[in-house]
Amino acid sequence: MEINILLVDDESDFVETMVKRFGIRKMPIDSAKSGQEALAALAAKDYDVIILDVRMPGMDGLEVLKLIRERAPLTEVIMLTGHASLEAGMQGMNLGAYDYVLKPADFDDLLDKVRKAFERKQLNVKARKQGA
Amino acid sequence: MSRPASREPESGSERQGISQGSDQGMLARATGARLWKDHGLLLWAHFLVPPGLAALVVAATFATPVLAGILAGAVLAIAAVSARGLLSRLSQAEEARLALTNQLIQSQKLAAIGELSAGIAHEINNPIAIIAQEAEWAAHLVGEAEKTGTADFAEVKDSLREVRAQVDRCKNITHKLLDFARKREPVLQEVDVVRIIEDMARLVDKEASYKNVTLVRDLPQDLPTLRTDAPLLRQVVLNLMTNALHAVDTGGRIQASARADGEMLEIRIADNGCGIQPENIDKVFNPFFTTKPPGQGTGLGLSMCHTLVTGMQGEISVESKPGQGATFIVRLPLRHSPLHAAGKNT
Repeated sequence: MEINILLVDDESDFVETMVKRFGIRKMPIDSAKSGQEALAALAAKDYDVIILDVRMPGMDGLEVLKLIRERAPLTEVIMLTGHASLEAGMQGMNLGAYDYVLKPADFDDLLDKVRKAFERKQLNVKARKQGA
Repeated sequence: MSRPASREPESGSERQGISQGSDQGMLARATGARLWKDHGLLLWAHFLVPPGLAALVVAATFATPVLAGILAGAVLAIAAVSARGLLSRLSQAEEARLALTNQLIQSQKLAAIGELSAGIAHEINNPIAIIAQEAEWAAHLVGEAEKTGTADFAEVKDSLREVRAQVDRCKNITHKLLDFARKREPVLQEVDVVRIIEDMARLVDKEASYKNVTLVRDLPQDLPTLRTDAPLLRQVVLNLMTNALHAVDTGGRIQASARADGEMLEIRIADNGCGIQPENIDKVFNPFFTTKPPGQGTGLGLSMCHTLVTGMQGEISVESKPGQGATFIVRLPLRHSPLHAAGKNT
């Protein structure tokens, strides 16, 4: 099953590598360079998993996370950070992020987390359908 | 090993295993003492009369069978009556004990509500005081401007900005409370607990190294996977580790361990920090309870952990000796009860 993934990061080198690596596995992903871009993309398409950098110029990753949770509560978010900030990690988890990954992220590890996040989204969708 | 915290999940007294254990022990002792005091004679009769009469029956058997029969009948009758009396008194005592337990739970609930309201009041009072002060000052400045005709609104704007900031602070507190009250239904997935602990530990490592604190992992590689809510468990583990990091001094040590224990999976986060004072140990899971200076902790972290773990059908407890650190113990069922799992996965 195809997973709709959005990668949000202002580091274009990192984004390029990631798009390539996901592509090799026949998993096309979209990317956004900022929080605003990410929210615009989210308004246009229903994403399953969003990989979101914490530190970006302009809109802060945690701020974006909050808005994603409000606008698309079923979309799972994996936070990505270059420097392990415990405070940001706590806030991210408390705001409902699915997981937290430290850069440089091991690709297989990240892939595994994306799959788990997607599984959770599907479980949530199923539970919601049953509840309705 | 402390008692699991949620022996009575619906009660308000579930916060802390140790306090509840001693409450019940006290109750049991009190009930026993009262039973002896009120019904001592009956108890003595119950234990002594039947054997005595039995001895008489044996003696009488050698005299005449009729006398033996009468005596045996009398023995049975007395035994039956005294047993019934004892039973009814025991059930009365049990009822009294239950009533007492309920009273205790009720009073603990009330105490918790009292503390909670005090906590909220305290947290919100400070920003409100500042808002009042700034509003008064702004009104004064505007009044002055009106009188003199010359207006310096920079200071007024400053006051208004401060008011705004303090309102945001209040909003933050109420939002946290709302988050706290919102029930997030757990979504069950196969979860590798060792991996989750390792992931969260890596987040804590850097901050720990600034404080020269070592975070030791004691994680078996053959731990069974758990069906639970992954992000909620991450939140609990991260909160407990952060809590431990705040508790230890420079050069301290935190140990994260996990093991399977029968039907349960047990996670322990231990630190060698200042520990918890005995008078505080049954309050650590209460909302707004904190020993940190004002402004440095809302006192919601551990109570949130408690809510999350209970939501995962688990138990959380704490063991601590002051000056010798504290150990937080999370126990989660390896197999979820079908009732709970059915709604989510079928």
